[in-house]
Amino acid sequence: MRQFMTSTVEQRKDFKESFSTHPMEVAWASEAIFFITIEEVKCKGARLKPKVQISVDGVNWIDEGTVFEPLAERGQYFKRITHFGGWLRLYIEMEGDDPLFNLTIHLVMKE
Amino acid sequence: MDRILSYDSGLSKFKPLKHILCYDDFDKGLCGWLNLMPNYTQEGFKPNFVQRGATEEDKEKMLDKTQWGPIMLSSATYRFPGTHGSMDGIYSLKLATRPTANRYEQPPAAGSISHAIKRLTSHRKPGLLQFEVWFTYTPEQDRPGLSEKDIRAFGICFDLQDAKSRNFVGIRYVNSVNGEMKREWQYMQSSDVTDEEWTYGTKGNWHKKGVDPFWYGRRYPDGRTDGFKFIPNSYQELCYNESDDKINWMYLRFLYDTEKKEYVEMQSRDQIFDLRGIRATDAPPYLGIEGLVNPVMWIETDCDRRVFLYIDSLVISTE
Repeated sequence: MRQFMTSTVEQRKDFKESFSTHPMEVAWASEAIFFITIEEVKCKGARLKPKVQISVDGVNWIDEGTVFEPLAERGQYFKRITHFGGWLRLYIEMEGDDPLFNLTIHLVMKE
Repeated sequence: MDRILSYDSGLSKFKPLKHILCYDDFDKGLCGWLNLMPNYTQEGFKPNFVQRGATEEDKEKMLDKTQWGPIMLSSATYRFPGTHGSMDGIYSLKLATRPTANRYEQPPAAGSISHAIKRLTSHRKPGLLQFEVWFTYTPEQDRPGLSEKDIRAFGICFDLQDAKSRNFVGIRYVNSVNGEMKREWQYMQSSDVTDEEWTYGTKGNWHKKGVDPFWYGRRYPDGRTDGFKFIPNSYQELCYNESDDKINWMYLRFLYDTEKKEYVEMQSRDQIFDLRGIRATDAPPYLGIEGLVNPVMWIETDCDRRVFLYIDSLVISTE
């Protein structure tokens, strides 16, 4: 059987500025999906610009190249990732005036 | 019929009781351990720890139990040495807090603890129950220096329930309090306080005194809480090593008697602490969880950085 793990890396939390998700060790997995759920939009005109980052050590991060289209509406969104080494996180930039989003973010890993 | 059981050689570093319930080596996967979360059973899947009678002010004062740091399978990889790996291979279970903490004497900040839980039930007559782990710990190496003092506490326990009571029993190592090293062991036992005092003065809180002492029970500047007491003469230096990216695997064992509802002993490295005569704290049984045997592990940060508890492998056994 294949190894599998879904982690709720951010849980129904209000975010009002750019942030990065809980650093996850993923060396055991060869494929992953980041799911972003916008639970609630508590602002007008602001947008989220999420991108995937990788790392050698979980401390120093660089862009992996996968980016989401800018997000502004309630709903679920995802990106598939492969060949990422030992660590994964999302960096989510906030754009616009007074952003406030309630988000849940899942990382789904499989080997 | 004669039965011959052949055990994995990794078990030779444990000393289990007669019946092994779990031998979890995290090189084999998650083994059923997961993040500890509230019950999302209310309208809109909101958590249920708020009860009738709770005012808006009470709700605001309630501890946020939805943000604890997620667990993961770790290769223990750092900037300078690269991959440390585990005792028998590459992977261990890692409990990782978020980079936030309140002062010790305040309720724990949302995300300042990371917990792992496994959900089991009893299948044998009451008697001895044992929890053994090979573990290590370190903070995130996000700044230079030796940062042992940034780890507040870690521990292992059982959450148990029979027809008469719910019992949280376990031990924790109080490593530091507000940046001052303590290095002493404690056992779970509740002080004589009300349910309201137990939950930081909130009314309508779902929790009873004695339940979830890793985050409930008022905390005092000397390291005590209303849920933990110091084991006498338990000062012990663990092997932290000389840098935040060097980890040494250590042995910890906790033995409890579910028949007498009494502690028996604990062992850390080669030192054994006698705990006989210490009674478990009885909380009233909760609905729907009779027979509960949930092992739990956790770690708490003392400042604004992530700290990690790594478990190479563990054994839960009964007599």
